[in-house]
Amino acid sequence: MVRWLIFLIFASALSAQGQEQSSDSISREVRELFDRCARSVVKIHGRDEHSDLSGSGFFVDPTGTIYTSYSVGGEATNFSVEFGGKKFPARQMIADLRSGIAMLKIDSASPALPIGRSEQLPVAAPVVMIGYPLDLPETPSFGMIAGFDRKYLDRYLTTTHLRANLATQRGEAGAPLLNMKGEVVGIVVSSLENSSSCYALPIEAAEKIRSDFVRFGEVRHGWIGAHLAEALEEKGGSRAEMTEVLENTPAANSGIQPGDILLQVGRKEIHQPDDIIDASFFLSAGDTVPITVLRGDQKLTLKVQASFHPASQHPTMIAAPSMNQALPLGLQKAPEPAP
Amino acid sequence: MDEFNDNEIGRLLRLKKFEQPPPGYFENFLHEFHRRQRDELLRQPLWKIAVERAQDFMLRLNVARLASYPVAAAAVLVCAAVFSLKIYQTPQAPTVAQIQSTAPVQSDWNLASPVSGVMVSQPRPAFNANLLTHRKTAPPRYVLDSMPVSYESTLRF
Repeated sequence: MVRWLIFLIFASALSAQGQEQSSDSISREVRELFDRCARSVVKIHGRDEHSDLSGSGFFVDPTGTIYTSYSVGGEATNFSVEFGGKKFPARQMIADLRSGIAMLKIDSASPALPIGRSEQLPVAAPVVMIGYPLDLPETPSFGMIAGFDRKYLDRYLTTTHLRANLATQRGEAGAPLLNMKGEVVGIVVSSLENSSSCYALPIEAAEKIRSDFVRFGEVRHGWIGAHLAEALEEKGGSRAEMTEVLENTPAANSGIQPGDILLQVGRKEIHQPDDIIDASFFLSAGDTVPITVLRGDQKLTLKVQASFHPASQHPTMIAAPSMNQALPLGLQKAPEPAP
Repeated sequence: MDEFNDNEIGRLLRLKKFEQPPPGYFENFLHEFHRRQRDELLRQPLWKIAVERAQDFMLRLNVARLASYPVAAAAVLVCAAVFSLKIYQTPQAPTVAQIQSTAPVQSDWNLASPVSGVMVSQPRPAFNANLLTHRKTAPPRYVLDSMPVSYESTLRF
């Protein structure tokens, strides 16, 4: 009996010590990551039609290119960036409403954050956000990946977003979401209901936007002109059925028909209708993409050249380097309904 | 006892045996009792009655506890006096330097035409004392949306 008692006391002491070591280890890792990465995170100031605004961003290359959220760098002007204890004027390179991000640039060498891969993150993977809450200095927040969402409040997101369970404050839009190696895996674009968690655009989606800009000098969201819904039964491993093919669109021109079951877009396999969200987002207008469909028992692979997404009818805003301001959205207020 | 012998007492008791109170005696008994009690009390001098009633009242109200009331009342009076002094104090005029209202002010100046070429003197706006007590510039809007800025209405590509 006495032996058992001593054993229990010893085991509980070991357990408590283990927990303490574990929390110390996490704290040390986060602190090291913060020390290493915080210098690449910047505070962004701007002014829009309402007031001065302030948000966060981070360097993504050594030439002063900054990623931030659209709500910070999308529709404002007169940008300036606080970095290394100095304030630099910044100009807007891209403001893309569909992805929810903007790209700014300062004329200075900059310490860039390495780019990670959000696809490799499992649910409950630890992540760290570094941002500028309110008028406070750069601040780390520690949390975990809570999910990969394609739908929020009954509406489809433009691409899969990372949902991270970490507390966010105003001013932290545009902050980088980092894995424990210090690599960027996402850009914080919004908080959720009570600011205890947030949505981040996966870094791959942001890099697609940057890639478009490098290739074409503009963002080219692609589109082929077909609508999807869930099929009654699974065929060929997919339940994504073409319900409508719009006239005079790449889909119609390539021979895609309503009733076809979509199996693959490029290298992206389709199993459910909402798999198309990511496949669609990563299409660039002008690119020719192989699309595999199942028609009856026949598997067809059609080459389709994507055109501009309807959301790109107003060209994506890209400002000339000298302008240092956003181009107007051109949005018009809907007429007031008659009483 | 000497005035009555046994026989007379016996007769009296027999007579009393048949004696009855007048009609309505029991109905008015309580009323009559209170009336006589009041008459008895009023035979005392008025001051004595007042003293007795005051003593009775004090005993019922616990005088020791009520002793703090005058102190509280005095404190309230003192506070009221202090506040009234503050309220009715006349405010001092602000000591702000006067600015020449005829100072030249540029107008029509913007980034497109940095120098307007026309210097117009305008009357300076009236001094606003509130500016002294407010921040010079409003704090910036710290940005974080409550939901992503863009959505797809349907599954299309």
